[in-house]
Amino acid sequence: MPKKISRIRYIEAIIFSLWITLKNLFRSPVTVLYPQEKRDIPERWRAGTFALTTDRESGEENCIGCKLCELICPSDIIIVEFEKHSGRGWAKRFYLDLQACIQCELCVQVCPTDAIVMLRGMAEPVTNREDLILDKGKLMSNEKLYEAAWATGIKLQTLHEPKKSVAES
Amino acid sequence: MIVINGIIQGAILLGAILGIVAYLTWLERKFSARMQSRVGPYLVGRPHGWLQPIADGLKLISKEDITPSKADSLLFNLAPGWVVVVSLLGFAFLPLTANWVLANLDVGLLYFTAIGSLIVIGIFLAGWSSNNKYALLSSVRSAAQIVAYEIPLLFSLLVPAILSGSLNFMDIIKAQNDLWFIAYPVIGQISFIIFLLAALAESNRMPFDLSEAESELIAGFNIEYSGMKFAYFYLGEYAHLLAVSLLVSILFFGGPLGPILPGGLWIGIKTVLVFLSILWIRWSFLRVRIDQLMMLNWKILTPVSLLNLLLAGLWVTLNF
Amino acid sequence: MEGNSDERIIEREFGELALNMGPQHPSTHGVFRLQLYLRGETVTKVTPHIGYLHRGVEKLSETLDYDMLPPVFERDDYLSPTANSLAYVLAVERLAGFEVTRRASYLRVLTAELQRVASHLVAIGTFGLDLGGSMGGGATLFLYCFRDRERILDLMETLTGTRFHTNMNQIGGVRYDVYPGFDSEVLSTVKYLVNQVNEYRSILEGNPIFLERTKDVGIVTQELAKEVGASGPVLRATGIPYDLRKNKPYCSYDEFNFEIPIGTIGDVFDRYLVRIKEISESISIVTQVLEGLPEGSINTRKPLKRATLLKPPKGAEAYAAVESPRGELGFFILSDGTSKPYRIKIRSPSFSNIALIPEIIPGHLVADAVAILGSLDPVFGDVDR
Repeated sequence: MPKKISRIRYIEAIIFSLWITLKNLFRSPVTVLYPQEKRDIPERWRAGTFALTTDRESGEENCIGCKLCELICPSDIIIVEFEKHSGRGWAKRFYLDLQACIQCELCVQVCPTDAIVMLRGMAEPVTNREDLILDKGKLMSNEKLYEAAWATGIKLQTLHEPKKSVAES
Repeated sequence: MIVINGIIQGAILLGAILGIVAYLTWLERKFSARMQSRVGPYLVGRPHGWLQPIADGLKLISKEDITPSKADSLLFNLAPGWVVVVSLLGFAFLPLTANWVLANLDVGLLYFTAIGSLIVIGIFLAGWSSNNKYALLSSVRSAAQIVAYEIPLLFSLLVPAILSGSLNFMDIIKAQNDLWFIAYPVIGQISFIIFLLAALAESNRMPFDLSEAESELIAGFNIEYSGMKFAYFYLGEYAHLLAVSLLVSILFFGGPLGPILPGGLWIGIKTVLVFLSILWIRWSFLRVRIDQLMMLNWKILTPVSLLNLLLAGLWVTLNF
Repeated sequence: MEGNSDERIIEREFGELALNMGPQHPSTHGVFRLQLYLRGETVTKVTPHIGYLHRGVEKLSETLDYDMLPPVFERDDYLSPTANSLAYVLAVERLAGFEVTRRASYLRVLTAELQRVASHLVAIGTFGLDLGGSMGGGATLFLYCFRDRERILDLMETLTGTRFHTNMNQIGGVRYDVYPGFDSEVLSTVKYLVNQVNEYRSILEGNPIFLERTKDVGIVTQELAKEVGASGPVLRATGIPYDLRKNKPYCSYDEFNFEIPIGTIGDVFDRYLVRIKEISESISIVTQVLEGLPEGSINTRKPLKRATLLKPPKGAEAYAAVESPRGELGFFILSDGTSKPYRIKIRSPSFSNIALIPEIIPGHLVADAVAILGSLDPVFGDVDR
């Protein structure tokens, strides 16, 4: 391309890039100054910790100790001990090691009774490693910390049912 | 008596310059942050982080003083001091109001160029004595760059000298009483642009900062420096930049001349504006490569500055 | 100068300087060791060393069941996670003979294209860092690109709950479904992105510094690209119009209307141009998906109760490839009749792309070496697996 025209275009492009940075100087910054300001957490957020839920009406635990979550976890972080009394199964001990969790939600997806859920809140930092290994008591008390995420086990399983007719989407 | 007076004035000036240079780093961080849609220093001294340079200085002073075992320790420890001293020497000859200058030399302009070209020795010493291949590469590049860019720098500095008839800073300021030198039709603008580019290349700033190219040669010639020695390099660079912006505002924008406010305030405002535009250029452009840098100098800037000098000479002989 | 003994011998005999752009370097895009032999500022020979990020994911997959594997493979090419799990899921569906509904295919395309835009924004932003240094104009471009990428990650967050490794793809369909206000949010983000892309193009493509740094640098010829097995934007910049979404369509890509940008010479500028045009094309695909989203279910298998239900026949093998933002990403699965795969082999695009490095870098300056490496856009999670 001829030299004269390219020189003028070069100068235009230089001035244009200076103009863009000057324009951004007068816009307000996009930073959210955590922890003074916090962002709104979206509805389907699921990156908090875990909790074991209890039944709304009767108040007894939902977990029947079926060990499906233990079998499907890719990182092998869940340990469940099963016992049977009063006509149904219970989880005698339940350990979940948060250090290796990859937040894949497979354990929530397979649970037949909506017992294990992820919570809709920010994961809190801790100061020793032992606090990251959650036992059953901590998991039961986590239920009161935040509300459960949008995706619980039974909801996902209904969502995945292959529909016979072309009903709702 | 004059000697003691001079020493006291010099000490006050030195203290003031060091304080201003420390706060120039704060200004750069805030300015560049706003251009990138983020908030700069914020926590130290809410809400605008104005205590940040003090915190940085304390941190750098408290670090361990390391000299690598295979490095040439005399040269290694000499280089940062050299850079700082030479950068600060430039302030002695620049007038700060319409009639106050620390050392009024008749060849003030030429002396400034001579001082400014001594900095490359410090950078080269730093790179050579670090015993590190990255440092060597970057200091060789930087030596070539600085020595090459002195030619357009000198030729564009000579234009205000020709237009005012002397090399003394006071005479240059007085000659701009009617019209600032940048407003002269062609020669003013071209010498301003060439001087700005050459001064950016001399002080290793973007878009010509190949010697500290952080993405290729991690930190270039100051790769082995940590703690207070690194702070000296940093301070020296900003002090040199402040001297360059002061020089630009005196030579091309009239210095302390202006309608209502006192001279010292005008020169301060103009210096800050020139400094901000140097920052603006830094944060908007990518970096050039070394052979393109040399090509820019020898093929474009040197002929244009020679032509510019010729035109300025013609202007003076034909009009005055 | 200290170094190991073979560096000393090289310096004495050939008069060259051996420089290590070592595993820790600001611009090698990950852990990667590049041994440069310099004569002055010109590079004469290059030896790459990889393997610093090897995690053994192919061996690990022999101990996990088929359903547990999509989240593990998402961590391979960590800049576009759904491409990896999409390739794996397509291979398993081919192996076991599952059909997928059209709605699930459309949702897969939606997440894949959004992540392609995010990955290309990262590529352009870090390319600016390589060219302009972390203090200067490159950092400005980097922060602008990441500010726009945050809008896309916010979209993924409202759809699935996590920003990045979303685990959307499952064997038989997808996991999440769209909610009623999703269209309008996506369309407003898309409109913002179109403006930003135009702004980037007008800043960069006229800038003389950018053009001089990238034109005629790192030229890759068509024969060299075919010999090495390059794919993706690297191949398309040389002029060969090969894109898996058009030549071997998968996952209902043949129902959409889009162009494939092709370069002419194969230098760094062409690779940048192909990537930034692909952003516009992906944006148009996303709008087409949202307009034509069919009704139906999102999964064809029964809900996941036990992981050991999936047992493909013994000796069956399948290969499926997708067009990830880096090139052709393929999964080969061989099963032996149990619920764990016998062997999974990943054909990674970045591994073949960086085989171009010892061929094209010699003869350039050090600054060009960094620019060429940035334009090839390797991701070392993908190279080393």
